[in-house]
Amino acid sequence: MKVKLTGFLTLLMLFLAQLSFAQGKVVTGTVTDDKQLPLPGVNILVQGTSRGVVTDFDGKYSLEVAEGQTLQFTSVGFEDQLIKVGASNRIDVSLRESATALDEVFVVAYGTATKESYTGSASVVKSSDIKDVPTASFQDALAGKAAGVNVTKGSGQVGSSTSIQIRGIGSMNASTQPLYVIDGVPVSSGNSGQLSDQIVVTNNIMNTLNPSDIESISILKDAAASSLYGSRAANGVVMITTKRGKKGEPRITIKSSTGFSPSWATDNYEPASTQENVDYLYRVFHDYNTSSGKSEAVANADALRRLNVKFNKHGYYFETNGTGVGESLMIKGMTDGLVNREGQYYDWEDAYFRTAVNQSQDISVSGASEKTNYYSSFSYSKDEGRVKINGNERISGRVNLEQKIGKYIEFSAKVNVAQTELTGFNDSRNLSSNYYEQTRNLLWGLYHPTNYKTGEPWTARYGSLAQNNVYYDNEWENSSTTLRVSAIEGLKVNILPELNVQTLFSYDNIETKDHLYYSRLHYNGQGLGTVDEMSTNSRRIVSSTTLNYSKDFGSHNLGFLAGYEVEKNQTDYIRASGKDLPSSNLHTVATAGDTDASAYYWGNNMMSILSRLEYSFDKRYYISGSFRRDGSSKLGPDSRWGNFWSVGASWNISKEAFLENVDAISNLSLRASYGVNGTLPPSNFGWRSLTGYSAKYMETAGGVLSNVADESLSWETNYSTDVALEFGLFKNRLYGTIEYFTRDSKDLLQSVPISRVTGFSSTLKNIGSIRNKGLELSLGGDIIRANDITWSASVNASFVDSKVLELSEGADIIWVNDSDATAQYIYREGESTLAFYGYEYAGVDPENGMSRYYVNDSENPQAGDFLLNGRGATYDYNDANYTIIGDGIPDVYGGLNTEFKYKGVSLGLDFIYKIGGKLYDGAEKDVSDDGYYWERIRSQYAYDDMWTEQNPNGSLPKVRGTDLTDAIQKSGRHIYDASFLRLKNIRLNYDLPASLIKPIGFDNIRLYVIGTNLLTFSKYTNADPEVGRYAARGWETPFMKNYTFGIELSL
Amino acid sequence: MNTIKSFIIIILCLGLSSCDDDFLDVTPSNSGDASTSIQTLADAKVMLTGIMSNMTSSSYYGRNFMLYAEAKGGDLTTFSMGRGLDGLYSFNHSPTSGSYSSFWNSIFNSILQANNLIVNIEKLEDAGSEADFDDVKGQALTARALMYFDLVRIYGKPYSYDKESYGVPNILEPLDALAQPLRATVAENYNQIISDLKEAQPLLSKGKTNGYLNYYANLAMQARVYLNMEQYPAALVAAQEIIDSGVYSLYSNNEWVDSWTGQFGSESIFELAILPSEADLGNSSLSVYLRRAGHESSSAIGQFIASDYYLNRLGEDPNDVRWGILSYDEVSETHMGASYKYSGDINLGGDGKSTPTSVNIKVIRLSEIYLMAAEAAFHSDKGLAATYLNEIRKRAPDLAPATAGTISIDMILDEKSKELFTEGQRFFDLLRLDKEITFNDDLGGVPISTRAKTIDRSFYKTILPISQEEINANPEIGNQQNPEY
Repeated sequence: MKVKLTGFLTLLMLFLAQLSFAQGKVVTGTVTDDKQLPLPGVNILVQGTSRGVVTDFDGKYSLEVAEGQTLQFTSVGFEDQLIKVGASNRIDVSLRESATALDEVFVVAYGTATKESYTGSASVVKSSDIKDVPTASFQDALAGKAAGVNVTKGSGQVGSSTSIQIRGIGSMNASTQPLYVIDGVPVSSGNSGQLSDQIVVTNNIMNTLNPSDIESISILKDAAASSLYGSRAANGVVMITTKRGKKGEPRITIKSSTGFSPSWATDNYEPASTQENVDYLYRVFHDYNTSSGKSEAVANADALRRLNVKFNKHGYYFETNGTGVGESLMIKGMTDGLVNREGQYYDWEDAYFRTAVNQSQDISVSGASEKTNYYSSFSYSKDEGRVKINGNERISGRVNLEQKIGKYIEFSAKVNVAQTELTGFNDSRNLSSNYYEQTRNLLWGLYHPTNYKTGEPWTARYGSLAQNNVYYDNEWENSSTTLRVSAIEGLKVNILPELNVQTLFSYDNIETKDHLYYSRLHYNGQGLGTVDEMSTNSRRIVSSTTLNYSKDFGSHNLGFLAGYEVEKNQTDYIRASGKDLPSSNLHTVATAGDTDASAYYWGNNMMSILSRLEYSFDKRYYISGSFRRDGSSKLGPDSRWGNFWSVGASWNISKEAFLENVDAISNLSLRASYGVNGTLPPSNFGWRSLTGYSAKYMETAGGVLSNVADESLSWETNYSTDVALEFGLFKNRLYGTIEYFTRDSKDLLQSVPISRVTGFSSTLKNIGSIRNKGLELSLGGDIIRANDITWSASVNASFVDSKVLELSEGADIIWVNDSDATAQYIYREGESTLAFYGYEYAGVDPENGMSRYYVNDSENPQAGDFLLNGRGATYDYNDANYTIIGDGIPDVYGGLNTEFKYKGVSLGLDFIYKIGGKLYDGAEKDVSDDGYYWERIRSQYAYDDMWTEQNPNGSLPKVRGTDLTDAIQKSGRHIYDASFLRLKNIRLNYDLPASLIKPIGFDNIRLYVIGTNLLTFSKYTNADPEVGRYAARGWETPFMKNYTFGIELSL
Repeated sequence: MNTIKSFIIIILCLGLSSCDDDFLDVTPSNSGDASTSIQTLADAKVMLTGIMSNMTSSSYYGRNFMLYAEAKGGDLTTFSMGRGLDGLYSFNHSPTSGSYSSFWNSIFNSILQANNLIVNIEKLEDAGSEADFDDVKGQALTARALMYFDLVRIYGKPYSYDKESYGVPNILEPLDALAQPLRATVAENYNQIISDLKEAQPLLSKGKTNGYLNYYANLAMQARVYLNMEQYPAALVAAQEIIDSGVYSLYSNNEWVDSWTGQFGSESIFELAILPSEADLGNSSLSVYLRRAGHESSSAIGQFIASDYYLNRLGEDPNDVRWGILSYDEVSETHMGASYKYSGDINLGGDGKSTPTSVNIKVIRLSEIYLMAAEAAFHSDKGLAATYLNEIRKRAPDLAPATAGTISIDMILDEKSKELFTEGQRFFDLLRLDKEITFNDDLGGVPISTRAKTIDRSFYKTILPISQEEINANPEIGNQQNPEY
């Protein structure tokens, strides 16, 4: 019925058209590319007139013309083509791809653009740039791929969250992460679920998106590009477009890969040998005695006694030949047990870590016909971490469908269903449950998982803190299962060739179920056994409707967009907890003797109107302006509406007459933009002063004032300026961009410290500003461009300067990066946004092995116990003052990518690099302890570099037994140069010759090998130099080396 | 064309459908607006419950306050440094590190809750509310007095030492976020405390109120405060009224050890309830901090054990009933330094709840009242003092009772140490009475460089510094920093 009706309408329209333009005839046809795939969006203009049409998504068009007229077919990315209309009513055209990168179409805010016409700043990463990289989330594969985009990871645990910072650090307390938009709809990012509150592990919600489903990623960097996303766009926008089908026979692609991670990417605080560590601890004990005036003989006896107390129970005892501090100890085995452990040291590294295996299987079916375009995929992947309990699994399925209904209506549906299951472990400096730290710092080779006397598992602590997790691994479990169902339904009505209305309706449901169980035998099981089940269900509904208009008037083009968008977010949280579990086989709340529960919900809503106006003349001059007005429930009634806007212009200089004849220049364009966008507060209710009711007491609800708020709280405002020159030389054999930006973030939400006498330590205020400015360079080219051989390379570099301009009352803010306080920073006006703060270390005094500090007395630079390099210095850090001891922001960072192709073989190398900037090694306080904690093992480098009478040039101080807390101070001692160069990925690819595979029915068979993190060059060699966004290294899991082998079949 | 029209209409409807006025008013589901949360007597009771809950926090009575008084008072020692809160023992304090500012922060937060409740009750009363707020208001005032009393003893010099020195800011109503209040003198704090207690006294109920404050808790606070102010007659009057009321009774020697396995016993005048699903601190509870390393949980790392000085004191009588709550510790199988008052009994029996770590905190109990009565009476009637002291002293059956001739302040103090071990009194008593404090560092051979082995109240670290965070936000108070910090 419907078909008939639509057909009738179409006929009617044609009839009407026939009537009004009776002098011509109707020509129809299909426009395809040189692979015969249909091309949508091709402009067809009757030369010499302003009449024209655009091909639909199947590349079809119909146009009324007169014989003898000439049709001009133009499409970005393709060479123009002119065809004279002859007698035939059908004109099918195949367009040739043009070589210019400027013409590529990419997705931008509420539409698409080409490099040439775009007045904003965007980096585009195509699926081919990131394919095959064995990461759970596409974000990790973006490292080094685009200028101005800093991709870092807080942890090497598989499944953990990734941080992306675009153009510096734009906020102190609100998000510094971009807005993610998938297929036109803003989505949530970051961690999902509640397990991170209990054990330090993150569950990256982006893992629910199968990287193989991604067609392209556009990263919007300046205001002209991102202001259409208004109050959430200050940190840039990452727009992800998923795949669609291509016209022709259904295409089936099967891809399978398996990989291995046998080792870490670098050395990580490799411990000194058991012998060396015993000698070291002996030295501490010995010094403890001699420091209080005891003789060497007494010191030797006491040190041996203490070692015996510590290790007799593990089957060892100790002897020395002499009584000096530098004795090499004889480690003997006790003979009163089941085993004599003499000479046998337990390998904890081997017990806790494994060769991790990763695998993935993908199958996709796609295709397109006249009216229908579809892409569907199903995938399974499993990633293991090297720590035996860390793993992440994903099953996902996607269907993307586009259907034309009649002549004017296009319908689309994109449905993704994914489930991930993550298990992790404590990634913080949690001494009893961070396995990585234990192997580096607490677990002696002299400890064994069994009791040498009985052979029973060792269940007591080793020393004061380390646990035998070989045993305890069977006594606990955790998992975060995330089910995500998202559907985006779209409807587009092409009212006129130049005018359409489009609506998108999206429903995104993310449910994370966290499970955490400790048996009654586990040290966290409170002797009873505990289990927690938490369910976090987030629902986001987005409805967006836009009116799009675009029309050429001769050499003029005018485009207009107006839209309305509504978004509703609600999260329901339910927790059920049980204690006193009767059976070790039953890990459920249902069986618990004591149960407890909680449930509540939170959310936020947003309403927006948006518009954009674009004008261009002669494809030489482009200007655009955008405006968005957002209202958010995260702000109070008087301040919840905000206006965001941008203006931009670009000038295609190479099309000017004076450059037309310069052959060397293929493209040259200049663009500039300015605009305002924002960042909303992270908290849903930050503007409200609240009374909370969680203070339960004697099973009665109790209320407490929980904050003191500012009702006029507002969003942070970001003022961005961008100027860029893009060029292509020698027929685009060499191309690049030079871009300068400034980004002033003002009215920053600051947690302003307030007098604790008020009952609270801080209140949120819009105070403070930050300026990020910088230069982004990217340069690419084809070094060899021959028939069989191509060699291309590209490099990008980002120079960012990020400074605090203004703070509340000008007062410094001292802050730490995480719950471990791995590093300490200061926000101070005029200083970097990542300025390390602590004592300035002046190295070890070679005379006596003591740590020295510069005093940094602002009033008297020579104040101190002695002068060093003309400055006041001291041995006692208590007499020194904190000062800025380093900047965590690199001078320049970026990527270097190159690919070499010969026939069916290609070799790709992706490097990432960072030059300048410091890192703060927060784990070093543990691995190079000066003798404060009498149970730690020391890293090899720390053992080798320790000052002794025999090694007076040692860079680390003399080990003492006198309670030295120097190592645990925040000081320059732990600052290192963070520069590095890393071969992030190396890819070898082989396409089997067509002559072999066509006969057996395959389109393509591709074999590949990819290696990740195989090479690292850095000055800092104690651990991995690729640090997270706070430029600090703590006890988070390091990165792995990975080797993945894959095969892809297409038919 | 109709199809197109209808599609456009559908689209517009979809787009605009959720556009109503309330759409941007999203309220939290687990909190209410602060300004409207106290409207009725029931609301006021909920807020009072919140105050009690606040006081069970780990940075207050839930743990740190008790350990502050004991670790600093020399009755506890540590066998090894670095196990947690050892800074209390080593006096490793400075404004920037080890300031233990959580006392300041947490108690001022509790004071805010009390101030908010008192001010709102007064508003409702002024507005002519019919409801009877007396008891709630009396409890809030008494709680505020208790909090200020604790705070001024942590941050100010003893009243008996220098009452004109700085105490803590004397704040009686919720403050603006940006307020920068300054310190009052110790004397001003004490005056406010007395004034609050006196105002509250007639408002309070005289019945037992488990888990909450009542008339007698108020009197007990008066006795404590007057003792600190050396106003012995007033202290004696308050203590005697409690004793004479007969509402509470002392545990017999047979009952004493078992009393720790029960809640709200006959001695409990103010006892904070710790329930497994509420303030139970689990592996970081007092129970775990004070028990033997490794006992039932490898998370028990034996942070604090009884010092030899305490054990020798208790050892004056090997049959003292109070040995019953001690067990051996990691030093040796005969060193009875592990304390189980917060574990129910030495087998971790708890006090009747599902976990042995959720044991109620006895903030004020009758034994202390007897000992306060003894001390207060000592200055006027040594015979009466001996009578009160002997009621507690008889828990060491082999010791001779005190007489008017033998009784001394030290004897009362020793008894208080034996009886109220780990109950948050020792350090403050020694400071108040200007006694030396000696630490048992040699037991574990812990190297302490931040204080001498023996100190007294002239040592500047006997009061905590104002933390640098407070000074950063409230610079003027930096000029009022405690001396030598």
